[in-house]
Amino acid sequence: MDSSNDEALDIIVTNVVATFRTRCHLNLRTIALEGTNVIYKPEVGKVLMKLRKPMITASIWSSGKIICTGATSEDEAKLGARRLARCLQKLGFKVRFSAFKVVNVLAVCSMPFAVHLIDFTKNNRPIASYEPELHPAATYRIKNLKATIQVFSTGSLTVTGPNVQNVATAVEQVYPLLFECQKPLCK
Amino acid sequence: MNLIKGLQRVKALCRTLRVNREIEDLSETYYNQAYQHKSFIKVSLNKKEVLAGCCVLVSCRLLNWPITMGTISCLLDADSMVVGAVYEEMVKILNIKAPIINVTDVMEAHSQEYKISSVYVPEELAENSKDLTKRAVALVELAADSWIVTGRKPIPIMMAAIYLAWQSLKPTKQRLKYSLDKFCQIAKVNKHKPALKRITEMKEVLCKLGKEIPWVKEPVTPDNVVRLMEDILQHRDALLRRALRTHEDALLADCQASCEDSLIEETAPSQISEVVEQTPDLSSVELCESNAERAKQPGDGDDNQCAASEQHSYTQGSQDSSQNWGKRVLFAPPCVIHAKKRRVEQPEPKDVTGDEEISDSEIDSYIRTPREARDFALAQKMFSMSESEKS
Repeated sequence: MDSSNDEALDIIVTNVVATFRTRCHLNLRTIALEGTNVIYKPEVGKVLMKLRKPMITASIWSSGKIICTGATSEDEAKLGARRLARCLQKLGFKVRFSAFKVVNVLAVCSMPFAVHLIDFTKNNRPIASYEPELHPAATYRIKNLKATIQVFSTGSLTVTGPNVQNVATAVEQVYPLLFECQKPLCK
Repeated sequence: MNLIKGLQRVKALCRTLRVNREIEDLSETYYNQAYQHKSFIKVSLNKKEVLAGCCVLVSCRLLNWPITMGTISCLLDADSMVVGAVYEEMVKILNIKAPIINVTDVMEAHSQEYKISSVYVPEELAENSKDLTKRAVALVELAADSWIVTGRKPIPIMMAAIYLAWQSLKPTKQRLKYSLDKFCQIAKVNKHKPALKRITEMKEVLCKLGKEIPWVKEPVTPDNVVRLMEDILQHRDALLRRALRTHEDALLADCQASCEDSLIEETAPSQISEVVEQTPDLSSVELCESNAERAKQPGDGDDNQCAASEQHSYTQGSQDSSQNWGKRVLFAPPCVIHAKKRRVEQPEPKDVTGDEEISDSEIDSYIRTPREARDFALAQKMFSMSESEKS
Protein backbone atom coordinates (compact mmCIF):
# COMPACT_ATOMS: atom_id res chain seq x y z
CA MET A 1 0.00 0.00 0.00
CA ASP A 2 2.61 2.53 1.02
CA SER A 3 6.04 1.96 -0.50
CA SER A 4 7.82 4.12 2.05
CA ASN A 5 6.97 1.74 4.94
CA ASP A 6 8.92 -1.42 5.62
CA GLU A 7 5.73 -3.20 6.61
CA ALA A 8 2.48 -2.92 4.68
CA LEU A 9 -0.53 -2.20 6.84
CA ASP A 10 -3.91 -3.73 6.23
CA ILE A 11 -6.62 -1.10 6.32
CA ILE A 12 -9.93 -2.93 6.51
CA VAL A 13 -12.99 -0.92 5.59
CA THR A 14 -15.79 -2.10 7.86
CA ASN A 15 -18.60 0.31 6.97
CA VAL A 16 -19.49 2.75 4.22
CA VAL A 17 -22.44 5.12 4.61
CA ALA A 18 -23.90 6.59 1.44
CA THR A 19 -26.98 8.62 0.57
CA PHE A 20 -28.97 9.09 -2.59
CA ARG A 21 -32.33 10.45 -3.71
CA THR A 22 -35.14 8.94 -5.74
CA ARG A 23 -36.59 12.29 -6.86
CA CYS A 24 -40.11 11.14 -6.14
CA HIS A 25 -42.34 10.66 -3.15
CA LEU A 26 -42.33 7.14 -1.67
CA ASN A 27 -45.33 5.54 -0.01
CA LEU A 28 -43.83 3.79 3.00
CA ARG A 29 -46.92 1.66 3.61
CA THR A 30 -46.71 0.20 0.13
CA ILE A 31 -43.04 -0.61 0.57
CA ALA A 32 -43.77 -2.28 3.92
CA LEU A 33 -46.58 -4.34 2.41
CA GLU A 34 -45.06 -5.39 -0.88
CA GLY A 35 -41.38 -5.55 0.03
CA THR A 36 -39.72 -8.43 1.86
CA ASN A 37 -36.91 -7.81 4.36
CA VAL A 38 -38.61 -4.59 5.39
CA ILE A 39 -39.24 -3.09 8.82
CA TYR A 40 -41.70 -0.21 9.02
CA LYS A 41 -41.11 2.39 11.72
CA PRO A 42 -44.13 4.74 11.53
CA GLU A 43 -43.14 6.49 14.77
CA VAL A 44 -40.00 7.93 13.13
CA GLY A 45 -41.48 8.03 9.62
CA LYS A 46 -39.09 5.66 7.90
CA VAL A 47 -38.73 2.17 6.54
CA LEU A 48 -35.68 -0.08 6.96
CA MET A 49 -34.92 -2.39 4.09
CA LYS A 50 -32.16 -4.97 4.13
CA LEU A 51 -30.48 -6.40 1.07
CA ARG A 52 -28.61 -9.68 1.15
CA LYS A 53 -25.98 -9.11 -1.50
CA PRO A 54 -24.29 -6.78 -0.82
CA MET A 55 -25.21 -6.84 2.88
CA ILE A 56 -26.75 -3.41 3.17
CA THR A 57 -29.37 -1.78 5.34
CA ALA A 58 -31.22 1.19 3.90
CA SER A 59 -33.28 3.79 5.75
CA ILE A 60 -35.97 5.07 3.43
CA TRP A 61 -37.92 8.26 3.97
CA SER A 62 -41.09 9.25 2.18
CA SER A 63 -39.37 12.33 0.77
CA GLY A 64 -37.24 10.01 -1.34
CA LYS A 65 -34.05 10.40 0.65
CA ILE A 66 -32.30 7.11 1.36
CA ILE A 67 -29.30 6.32 3.54
CA CYS A 68 -27.43 3.02 2.94
CA THR A 69 -25.14 1.50 5.53
CA GLY A 70 -23.18 -1.73 5.83
CA ALA A 71 -21.18 -1.84 2.61
CA THR A 72 -17.49 -2.61 2.77
CA SER A 73 -16.37 -0.51 -0.19
CA GLU A 74 -17.53 2.56 -2.05
CA ASP A 75 -18.35 0.53 -5.16
CA GLU A 76 -20.32 -1.95 -3.11
CA ALA A 77 -22.28 0.93 -1.60
CA LYS A 78 -23.12 2.21 -5.08
CA LEU A 79 -24.18 -1.23 -6.27
CA GLY A 80 -26.35 -1.73 -3.22
CA ALA A 81 -27.92 1.69 -3.65
CA ARG A 82 -28.70 0.97 -7.31
CA ARG A 83 -30.22 -2.40 -6.41
CA LEU A 84 -32.39 -0.68 -3.89
CA ALA A 85 -33.49 1.92 -6.40
CA ARG A 86 -34.38 -0.85 -8.88
CA CYS A 87 -36.36 -2.57 -6.17
CA LEU A 88 -38.36 0.56 -5.50
CA GLN A 89 -38.90 0.99 -9.24
CA LYS A 90 -40.34 -2.51 -9.42
CA LEU A 91 -42.66 -1.65 -6.59
CA GLY A 92 -44.15 0.95 -8.88
CA PHE A 93 -42.41 4.19 -7.93
CA LYS A 94 -41.02 6.55 -10.57
CA VAL A 95 -37.51 6.35 -9.21
CA ARG A 96 -34.57 8.21 -10.73
CA PHE A 97 -31.27 7.30 -9.10
CA SER A 98 -29.60 10.60 -8.33
CA ALA A 99 -27.29 12.50 -5.95
CA PHE A 100 -25.42 9.39 -4.86
CA LYS A 101 -22.73 10.36 -2.34
CA VAL A 102 -20.55 8.46 0.06
CA VAL A 103 -20.77 10.43 3.31
CA ASN A 104 -18.76 8.35 5.77
CA VAL A 105 -16.25 5.53 5.74
CA LEU A 106 -15.21 3.58 8.82
CA ALA A 107 -12.04 1.51 8.73
CA VAL A 108 -9.84 -0.35 11.18
CA CYS A 109 -6.13 -0.88 11.08
CA SER A 110 -3.64 -2.55 13.37
CA MET A 111 -0.10 -1.45 14.12
CA PRO A 112 2.33 -4.26 14.91
CA PHE A 113 3.37 -2.44 18.08
CA ALA A 114 1.79 -0.93 21.17
CA VAL A 115 1.46 2.84 21.40
CA HIS A 116 2.20 4.89 24.48
CA LEU A 117 -0.85 7.16 24.45
CA ILE A 118 0.41 9.78 26.88
CA ASP A 119 3.58 10.36 24.85
CA PHE A 120 1.53 10.42 21.64
CA THR A 121 -0.83 13.04 23.04
CA LYS A 122 1.95 15.18 24.47
CA ASN A 123 3.82 15.14 21.17
CA ASN A 124 0.77 16.06 19.13
CA ARG A 125 -1.19 18.63 21.12
CA PRO A 126 -3.75 20.01 20.36
CA ILE A 127 -4.57 17.75 17.41
CA ALA A 128 -4.51 14.74 19.74
CA SER A 129 -6.54 14.43 22.92
CA TYR A 130 -6.68 11.67 25.50
CA GLU A 131 -8.92 11.33 28.56
CA PRO A 132 -8.39 7.87 30.06
CA GLU A 133 -11.25 8.38 32.52
CA LEU A 134 -13.68 8.73 29.64
CA HIS A 135 -12.37 6.60 26.77
CA PRO A 136 -9.42 4.23 26.45
CA ALA A 137 -8.27 5.65 23.11
CA ALA A 138 -6.54 8.86 22.13
CA THR A 139 -8.38 10.88 19.47
CA TYR A 140 -6.46 12.46 16.59
CA ARG A 141 -8.42 14.76 14.31
CA ILE A 142 -7.01 15.77 10.93
CA LYS A 143 -8.95 18.88 9.97
CA ASN A 144 -8.00 19.16 6.31
CA LEU A 145 -8.89 15.51 5.64
CA LYS A 146 -11.96 15.68 7.89
CA ALA A 147 -10.76 12.40 9.36
CA THR A 148 -10.81 11.22 12.97
CA ILE A 149 -8.51 8.49 14.21
CA GLN A 150 -8.96 6.69 17.51
CA VAL A 151 -5.67 5.22 18.68
CA PHE A 152 -5.72 2.40 21.23
CA SER A 153 -2.75 1.39 23.33
CA THR A 154 -2.76 -2.03 21.64
CA GLY A 155 -1.87 -0.33 18.35
CA SER A 156 -5.36 -0.74 16.89
CA LEU A 157 -6.79 2.24 15.06
CA THR A 158 -10.31 3.06 14.01
CA VAL A 159 -10.50 5.73 11.33
CA THR A 160 -13.52 7.62 10.08
CA GLY A 161 -13.50 9.95 7.12
CA PRO A 162 -15.58 11.15 4.17
CA ASN A 163 -14.13 8.61 1.72
CA VAL A 164 -11.69 5.73 1.45
CA GLN A 165 -8.87 7.85 0.00
CA ASN A 166 -8.99 10.28 2.94
CA VAL A 167 -8.98 7.39 5.37
CA ALA A 168 -5.91 5.87 3.73
CA THR A 169 -4.12 9.22 3.71
CA ALA A 170 -4.99 9.75 7.36
CA VAL A 171 -3.39 6.43 8.30
CA GLU A 172 -0.29 7.29 6.29
CA GLN A 173 -0.04 10.63 8.08
CA VAL A 174 -0.46 9.24 11.56
CA TYR A 175 1.80 6.20 11.16
CA PRO A 176 5.15 7.99 11.72
CA LEU A 177 3.72 9.77 14.77
CA LEU A 178 2.67 6.44 16.25
CA PHE A 179 5.93 4.76 15.34
CA GLU A 180 7.92 7.17 17.48
CA CYS A 181 5.67 6.48 20.48
CA GLN A 182 6.05 2.73 20.65
CA LYS A 183 8.38 3.13 23.63
CA PRO A 184 10.48 -0.02 23.66
CA LEU A 185 11.01 -1.22 27.17
CA CYS A 186 14.74 -0.76 27.63
CA LYS A 187 16.29 1.51 30.21
CA MET B 1 -29.22 35.16 38.75
CA ASN B 2 -28.11 31.61 38.00
CA LEU B 3 -24.70 32.86 37.06
CA ILE B 4 -24.20 34.15 40.59
CA LYS B 5 -25.42 30.88 42.08
CA GLY B 6 -23.12 29.01 39.72
CA LEU B 7 -20.14 31.07 40.81
CA GLN B 8 -21.00 30.38 44.42
CA ARG B 9 -21.05 26.67 43.61
CA VAL B 10 -17.61 27.01 42.04
CA LYS B 11 -16.35 28.67 45.23
CA ALA B 12 -17.91 25.96 47.38
CA LEU B 13 -16.27 23.19 45.34
CA CYS B 14 -12.92 24.93 45.61
CA ARG B 15 -13.28 25.21 49.40
CA THR B 16 -14.20 21.51 49.70
CA LEU B 17 -11.14 20.54 47.69
CA ARG B 18 -9.04 23.11 49.59
CA VAL B 19 -7.41 24.41 46.46
CA ASN B 20 -5.44 27.66 46.41
CA ARG B 21 -6.71 31.13 45.53
CA GLU B 22 -5.25 31.04 42.02
CA ILE B 23 -7.26 27.95 41.07
CA GLU B 24 -10.42 29.45 42.53
CA ASP B 25 -10.00 32.65 40.50
CA LEU B 26 -9.25 30.77 37.31
CA SER B 27 -12.29 28.51 37.80
CA GLU B 28 -14.53 31.53 38.25
CA THR B 29 -13.15 33.16 35.09
CA TYR B 30 -13.77 30.03 33.06
CA TYR B 31 -17.24 29.63 34.49
CA ASN B 32 -18.10 33.19 33.52
CA GLN B 33 -16.89 32.63 29.98
CA ALA B 34 -18.48 29.22 29.49
CA TYR B 35 -21.80 30.20 31.04
CA GLN B 36 -22.27 33.05 28.54
CA HIS B 37 -21.51 30.79 25.56
CA LYS B 38 -24.44 29.63 23.45
CA SER B 39 -23.64 25.96 24.20
CA PHE B 40 -24.33 26.45 27.90
CA ILE B 41 -26.57 29.49 28.32
CA LYS B 42 -29.78 27.50 27.86
CA VAL B 43 -28.92 24.17 29.46
CA SER B 44 -30.56 22.73 32.58
CA LEU B 45 -29.53 23.81 36.07
CA ASN B 46 -28.11 20.34 36.60
CA LYS B 47 -25.80 20.75 33.67
CA LYS B 48 -24.77 24.19 34.85
CA GLU B 49 -23.74 22.66 38.14
CA VAL B 50 -21.72 20.05 36.28
CA LEU B 51 -20.15 22.88 34.29
CA ALA B 52 -19.04 24.48 37.56
CA GLY B 53 -17.31 21.22 38.51
CA CYS B 54 -15.63 20.99 35.10
CA CYS B 55 -14.28 24.53 35.42
CA VAL B 56 -12.73 23.61 38.76
CA LEU B 57 -11.33 20.42 37.25
CA VAL B 58 -9.67 22.12 34.29
CA SER B 59 -8.22 24.88 36.48
CA CYS B 60 -6.73 22.28 38.81
CA ARG B 61 -5.17 20.50 35.84
CA LEU B 62 -3.72 23.66 34.38
CA LEU B 63 -2.20 24.71 37.71
CA ASN B 64 -0.77 21.28 38.59
CA TRP B 65 -3.23 20.28 41.26
CA PRO B 66 -3.75 16.55 40.76
CA ILE B 67 -7.42 15.61 40.75
CA THR B 68 -9.47 13.06 38.85
CA MET B 69 -12.75 13.43 37.05
CA GLY B 70 -14.04 10.72 39.35
CA THR B 71 -13.54 12.97 42.37
CA ILE B 72 -15.51 15.78 40.73
CA SER B 73 -18.28 13.38 39.72
CA CYS B 74 -18.45 12.20 43.32
CA LEU B 75 -18.65 15.72 44.71
CA LEU B 76 -21.37 16.70 42.25
CA ASP B 77 -23.13 13.36 42.63
CA ALA B 78 -23.34 13.23 38.85
CA ASP B 79 -22.81 10.51 36.25
CA SER B 80 -19.19 10.49 35.12
CA MET B 81 -20.25 10.24 31.46
CA VAL B 82 -22.30 13.44 31.78
CA VAL B 83 -19.36 15.16 33.47
CA GLY B 84 -17.11 13.91 30.67
CA ALA B 85 -19.39 15.22 27.93
CA VAL B 86 -19.69 18.66 29.54
CA TYR B 87 -15.95 18.76 30.14
CA GLU B 88 -15.11 18.00 26.51
CA GLU B 89 -17.61 20.58 25.24
CA MET B 90 -16.27 23.24 27.60
CA VAL B 91 -12.64 22.59 26.71
CA LYS B 92 -13.52 22.85 23.02
CA ILE B 93 -15.39 26.15 23.22
CA LEU B 94 -12.89 27.80 25.58
CA ASN B 95 -9.99 26.39 23.55
CA ILE B 96 -8.13 25.10 26.61
CA LYS B 97 -5.20 22.72 26.31
CA ALA B 98 -5.19 20.97 29.65
CA PRO B 99 -2.38 18.56 30.50
CA ILE B 100 -3.22 14.91 31.13
CA ILE B 101 -3.17 13.80 34.74
CA ASN B 102 -0.33 11.61 35.84
CA VAL B 103 -1.59 8.66 37.87
CA THR B 104 1.34 8.81 40.27
CA ASP B 105 0.56 12.48 41.07
CA VAL B 106 -3.02 11.69 41.91
CA MET B 107 -2.07 8.70 44.03
CA GLU B 108 -1.36 10.66 47.19
CA ALA B 109 -4.71 12.41 47.16
CA HIS B 110 -6.45 9.16 46.35
CA SER B 111 -4.80 7.16 49.10
CA GLN B 112 -6.03 9.68 51.71
CA GLU B 113 -9.53 8.34 51.07
CA TYR B 114 -8.58 4.93 52.45
CA LYS B 115 -9.29 4.78 56.17
CA ILE B 116 -6.58 2.27 56.91
CA SER B 117 -4.50 4.00 59.56
CA SER B 118 -4.38 2.82 63.18
CA VAL B 119 -7.07 5.37 64.09
CA TYR B 120 -9.65 3.45 62.07
CA VAL B 121 -8.59 -0.20 62.04
CA PRO B 122 -6.89 -2.66 64.42
CA GLU B 123 -3.09 -2.52 64.63
CA GLU B 124 -2.42 -5.69 62.64
CA LEU B 125 -4.35 -4.28 59.66
CA ALA B 126 -3.21 -0.66 59.94
CA GLU B 127 -0.71 1.13 57.69
CA ASN B 128 0.34 4.72 57.69
CA SER B 129 -0.59 6.73 54.63
CA LYS B 130 2.97 7.73 53.71
CA ASP B 131 4.35 4.20 53.47
CA LEU B 132 1.26 3.02 51.67
CA THR B 133 1.48 5.79 49.09
CA LYS B 134 5.19 5.28 48.52
CA ARG B 135 4.80 1.55 47.88
CA ALA B 136 1.71 2.06 45.71
CA VAL B 137 3.41 4.74 43.60
CA ALA B 138 6.33 2.39 42.92
CA LEU B 139 3.89 -0.29 41.85
CA VAL B 140 2.01 2.09 39.57
CA GLU B 141 5.29 3.18 37.96
CA LEU B 142 6.10 -0.46 37.27
CA ALA B 143 2.59 -0.98 35.89
CA ALA B 144 3.03 2.05 33.62
CA ASP B 145 6.29 0.61 32.28
CA SER B 146 4.66 -2.73 31.56
CA TRP B 147 1.63 -1.44 29.63
CA ILE B 148 -0.97 -1.90 32.33
CA VAL B 149 -1.78 1.81 32.76
CA THR B 150 -2.04 3.12 29.19
CA GLY B 151 -5.64 3.28 28.01
CA ARG B 152 -7.12 2.28 31.35
CA LYS B 153 -9.15 4.23 33.90
CA PRO B 154 -6.84 5.47 36.67
CA ILE B 155 -8.98 4.79 39.74
CA PRO B 156 -9.12 0.97 39.51
CA ILE B 157 -5.35 0.98 38.91
CA MET B 158 -4.78 3.04 42.04
CA MET B 159 -7.12 0.85 44.04
CA ALA B 160 -5.29 -2.30 42.93
CA ALA B 161 -1.92 -0.70 43.72
CA ILE B 162 -3.01 0.37 47.18
CA TYR B 163 -4.47 -3.04 47.96
CA LEU B 164 -1.32 -4.87 46.89
CA ALA B 165 0.89 -2.32 48.64
CA TRP B 166 -1.09 -2.79 51.85
CA GLN B 167 -0.72 -6.56 51.64
CA SER B 168 2.99 -6.42 50.91
CA LEU B 169 3.87 -3.95 53.69
CA LYS B 170 3.04 -6.67 56.21
CA PRO B 171 2.49 -9.92 54.29
CA THR B 172 1.00 -11.89 57.19
CA LYS B 173 -1.33 -14.80 56.58
CA GLN B 174 -4.21 -12.70 57.82
CA ARG B 175 -3.61 -9.87 55.37
CA LEU B 176 -2.97 -12.15 52.43
CA LYS B 177 -6.32 -13.79 53.06
CA TYR B 178 -8.13 -10.47 52.75
CA SER B 179 -9.97 -10.18 49.44
CA LEU B 180 -10.31 -6.84 47.66
CA ASP B 181 -13.95 -6.75 48.75
CA LYS B 182 -13.06 -7.04 52.42
CA PHE B 183 -10.23 -4.57 52.10
CA CYS B 184 -12.56 -1.96 50.60
CA GLN B 185 -15.00 -2.61 53.41
CA ILE B 186 -12.49 -1.97 56.17
CA ALA B 187 -11.00 1.01 54.34
CA LYS B 188 -14.51 2.37 53.78
CA VAL B 189 -14.19 2.92 50.03
CA ASN B 190 -16.42 1.81 47.16
CA LYS B 191 -14.97 -1.15 45.31
CA HIS B 192 -14.30 -0.77 41.60
CA LYS B 193 -14.74 -4.05 39.76
CA PRO B 194 -12.01 -3.50 37.18
CA ALA B 195 -9.53 -3.31 40.08
CA LEU B 196 -9.73 -7.12 40.32
CA LYS B 197 -8.43 -7.46 36.78
CA ARG B 198 -5.71 -4.91 37.45
CA ILE B 199 -4.60 -6.91 40.47
CA THR B 200 -4.26 -10.04 38.33
CA GLU B 201 -2.31 -8.14 35.69
CA MET B 202 0.01 -6.53 38.22
CA LYS B 203 0.67 -9.88 39.87
CA GLU B 204 1.49 -11.35 36.46
CA VAL B 205 4.09 -8.64 35.86
CA LEU B 206 5.48 -9.05 39.37
CA CYS B 207 5.83 -12.79 38.76
CA LYS B 208 7.75 -12.17 35.52
CA LEU B 209 10.19 -10.01 37.46
CA GLY B 210 10.19 -12.20 40.57
CA LYS B 211 11.50 -15.12 38.50
CA GLU B 212 14.66 -13.11 37.81
CA ILE B 213 15.59 -12.60 41.48
CA PRO B 214 18.78 -14.64 41.92
CA TRP B 215 18.25 -15.53 45.58
CA VAL B 216 14.72 -16.88 45.15
CA LYS B 217 14.82 -20.62 44.56
CA GLU B 218 11.14 -21.55 44.78
CA PRO B 219 8.82 -20.97 41.78
CA VAL B 220 7.18 -17.55 41.85
CA THR B 221 3.39 -17.69 41.55
CA PRO B 222 0.63 -15.09 41.98
CA ASP B 223 -0.01 -16.62 45.42
CA ASN B 224 3.46 -16.06 46.83
CA VAL B 225 4.63 -13.04 44.83
CA VAL B 226 3.23 -10.48 47.29
CA ARG B 227 5.86 -11.44 49.86
CA LEU B 228 8.57 -10.68 47.30
CA MET B 229 7.04 -7.36 46.25
CA GLU B 230 9.35 -5.22 48.38
CA ASP B 231 12.45 -6.69 46.75
CA ILE B 232 10.93 -6.62 43.28
CA LEU B 233 9.99 -2.95 43.51
CA GLN B 234 13.31 -1.97 45.03
CA HIS B 235 15.29 -3.58 42.21
CA ARG B 236 12.73 -3.26 39.44
CA ASP B 237 15.00 -1.58 36.90
CA ALA B 238 17.62 -4.32 37.09
CA LEU B 239 14.98 -7.05 37.12
CA LEU B 240 13.26 -5.54 34.06
CA ARG B 241 16.53 -5.60 32.16
CA ARG B 242 17.20 -9.19 33.17
CA ALA B 243 13.70 -10.30 32.25
CA LEU B 244 13.96 -8.70 28.80
CA ARG B 245 17.32 -10.32 28.19
CA THR B 246 16.04 -13.75 29.28
CA HIS B 247 13.05 -13.33 27.00
CA GLU B 248 15.20 -12.37 24.01
CA ASP B 249 17.44 -15.38 24.58
CA ALA B 250 14.40 -17.65 24.75
CA LEU B 251 13.04 -16.23 21.46
CA LEU B 252 16.39 -16.79 19.79
CA ALA B 253 16.48 -20.40 20.97
CA ASP B 254 12.93 -20.92 19.66
CA CYS B 255 13.82 -19.50 16.28
CA GLN B 256 16.86 -21.71 15.94
CA ALA B 257 14.84 -24.75 16.92
CA SER B 258 12.23 -24.02 14.25
CA CYS B 259 15.02 -23.53 11.69
CA GLU B 260 16.28 -27.01 12.41
CA ASP B 261 12.76 -28.38 11.99
CA SER B 262 12.32 -26.75 8.60
CA LEU B 263 15.58 -28.27 7.31
CA ILE B 264 13.94 -31.68 7.67
CA GLU B 265 11.01 -30.77 5.39
CA GLU B 266 12.30 -31.09 1.82
CA THR B 267 9.17 -29.85 0.11
CA ALA B 268 9.02 -26.68 2.24
CA PRO B 269 10.54 -24.25 -0.31
CA SER B 270 8.06 -25.07 -3.11
CA GLN B 271 5.14 -25.00 -0.69
CA ILE B 272 6.18 -21.61 0.55
CA SER B 273 6.22 -19.96 -2.89
CA GLU B 274 2.70 -21.25 -3.58
CA VAL B 275 1.31 -20.21 -0.24
CA VAL B 276 2.88 -16.75 -0.45
CA GLU B 277 1.11 -16.08 -3.73
CA GLN B 278 -2.22 -17.20 -2.40
CA THR B 279 -2.16 -15.40 0.89
CA PRO B 280 -4.23 -12.22 0.91
CA ASP B 281 -2.48 -10.91 3.99
CA LEU B 282 0.83 -9.66 2.61
CA SER B 283 1.58 -7.68 5.72
CA SER B 284 2.21 -10.87 7.71
CA VAL B 285 4.84 -12.01 5.23
CA GLU B 286 6.67 -8.72 5.20
CA LEU B 287 6.33 -8.43 8.97
CA CYS B 288 7.96 -11.74 9.70
CA GLU B 289 10.76 -11.05 7.24
CA SER B 290 11.70 -7.89 9.10
CA ASN B 291 11.38 -9.75 12.40
CA ALA B 292 13.77 -12.40 11.20
CA GLU B 293 16.23 -9.64 10.37
CA ARG B 294 15.83 -8.09 13.77
CA ALA B 295 16.46 -11.32 15.68
CA LYS B 296 20.23 -11.89 15.78
CA GLN B 297 21.06 -14.95 13.69
CA PRO B 298 24.46 -16.66 13.93
CA GLY B 299 25.01 -17.07 10.18
CA ASP B 300 23.68 -16.06 6.77
CA GLY B 301 22.51 -19.52 5.90
CA ASP B 302 20.50 -19.65 9.09
CA ASP B 303 19.04 -16.23 8.25
CA ASN B 304 17.39 -17.42 5.07
CA GLN B 305 16.24 -20.68 6.55
CA CYS B 306 14.77 -18.91 9.55
CA ALA B 307 12.97 -16.32 7.43
CA ALA B 308 11.62 -19.06 5.22
CA SER B 309 10.46 -21.20 8.11
CA GLU B 310 8.85 -18.20 9.79
CA GLN B 311 7.09 -17.36 6.52
CA HIS B 312 5.81 -20.91 6.34
CA SER B 313 4.49 -20.91 9.89
CA TYR B 314 3.06 -17.41 9.56
CA THR B 315 1.21 -17.96 6.32
CA GLN B 316 -0.47 -20.92 7.95
CA GLY B 317 -1.83 -18.57 10.60
CA SER B 318 -1.83 -15.42 8.51
CA GLN B 319 -5.06 -14.10 10.02
CA ASP B 320 -3.52 -14.13 13.50
CA SER B 321 -0.32 -12.31 12.60
CA SER B 322 -1.45 -8.95 13.81
CA GLN B 323 -2.15 -10.44 17.23
CA ASN B 324 0.91 -12.68 17.19
CA TRP B 325 3.32 -9.82 17.85
CA GLY B 326 1.91 -9.65 21.37
CA LYS B 327 3.04 -13.19 22.03
CA ARG B 328 6.57 -12.40 20.92
CA VAL B 329 7.18 -9.60 23.44
CA LEU B 330 7.47 -9.89 27.19
CA PHE B 331 5.42 -6.82 28.08
CA ALA B 332 2.52 -5.55 26.03
CA PRO B 333 -1.01 -4.31 26.69
CA PRO B 334 -2.76 -7.28 28.35
CA CYS B 335 -5.44 -7.68 25.68
CA VAL B 336 -2.68 -8.18 23.11
CA ILE B 337 -0.91 -10.82 25.20
CA HIS B 338 -4.17 -12.65 25.88
CA ALA B 339 -5.68 -11.94 22.48
CA LYS B 340 -9.17 -13.29 21.84
CA LYS B 341 -9.47 -15.57 18.84
CA ARG B 342 -10.92 -13.50 16.02
CA ARG B 343 -13.69 -14.95 13.91
CA VAL B 344 -12.11 -15.60 10.51
CA GLU B 345 -14.12 -13.58 8.02
CA GLN B 346 -14.42 -14.93 4.51
CA PRO B 347 -13.16 -12.24 2.15
CA GLU B 348 -15.82 -11.20 -0.35
CA PRO B 349 -14.77 -11.14 -4.01
CA LYS B 350 -13.47 -7.62 -4.47
CA ASP B 351 -14.32 -7.10 -8.15
CA VAL B 352 -17.36 -4.90 -7.59
CA THR B 353 -17.43 -1.76 -9.74
CA GLY B 354 -20.76 -0.33 -8.64
CA ASP B 355 -22.03 -0.05 -12.21
CA GLU B 356 -22.83 -3.71 -12.92
CA GLU B 357 -26.00 -4.88 -14.56
CA ILE B 358 -28.70 -5.77 -12.05
CA SER B 359 -30.82 -8.74 -13.06
CA ASP B 360 -34.59 -8.78 -12.66
CA SER B 361 -34.65 -12.09 -10.88
CA GLU B 362 -32.38 -10.70 -8.19
CA ILE B 363 -34.69 -7.79 -7.51
CA ASP B 364 -37.78 -9.99 -7.60
CA SER B 365 -36.50 -11.83 -4.57
CA TYR B 366 -37.15 -8.68 -2.57
CA ILE B 367 -40.72 -8.21 -3.70
CA ARG B 368 -43.77 -10.12 -2.60
CA THR B 369 -46.08 -11.55 -5.23
CA PRO B 370 -49.57 -9.98 -5.23
CA ARG B 371 -50.88 -13.09 -3.51
CA GLU B 372 -48.22 -12.98 -0.82
CA ALA B 373 -48.95 -9.29 -0.25
CA ARG B 374 -52.71 -10.04 0.15
CA ASP B 375 -52.00 -12.88 2.57
CA PHE B 376 -49.60 -10.71 4.55
CA ALA B 377 -52.15 -7.88 4.83
CA LEU B 378 -54.81 -10.34 5.94
CA ALA B 379 -52.53 -11.89 8.53
CA GLN B 380 -51.68 -8.45 9.90
CA LYS B 381 -55.35 -7.57 10.18
CA MET B 382 -56.18 -10.82 11.97
CA PHE B 383 -53.26 -10.37 14.29
CA SER B 384 -54.21 -6.84 15.27
CA MET B 385 -57.84 -7.92 15.73
CA SER B 386 -56.89 -10.73 18.08
CA GLU B 387 -54.61 -8.33 20.00
CA SER B 388 -57.45 -5.87 20.50
CA GLU B 389 -59.79 -8.73 21.54
CA LYS B 390 -57.31 -9.84 24.18
CA SER B 391 -57.02 -6.36 25.65
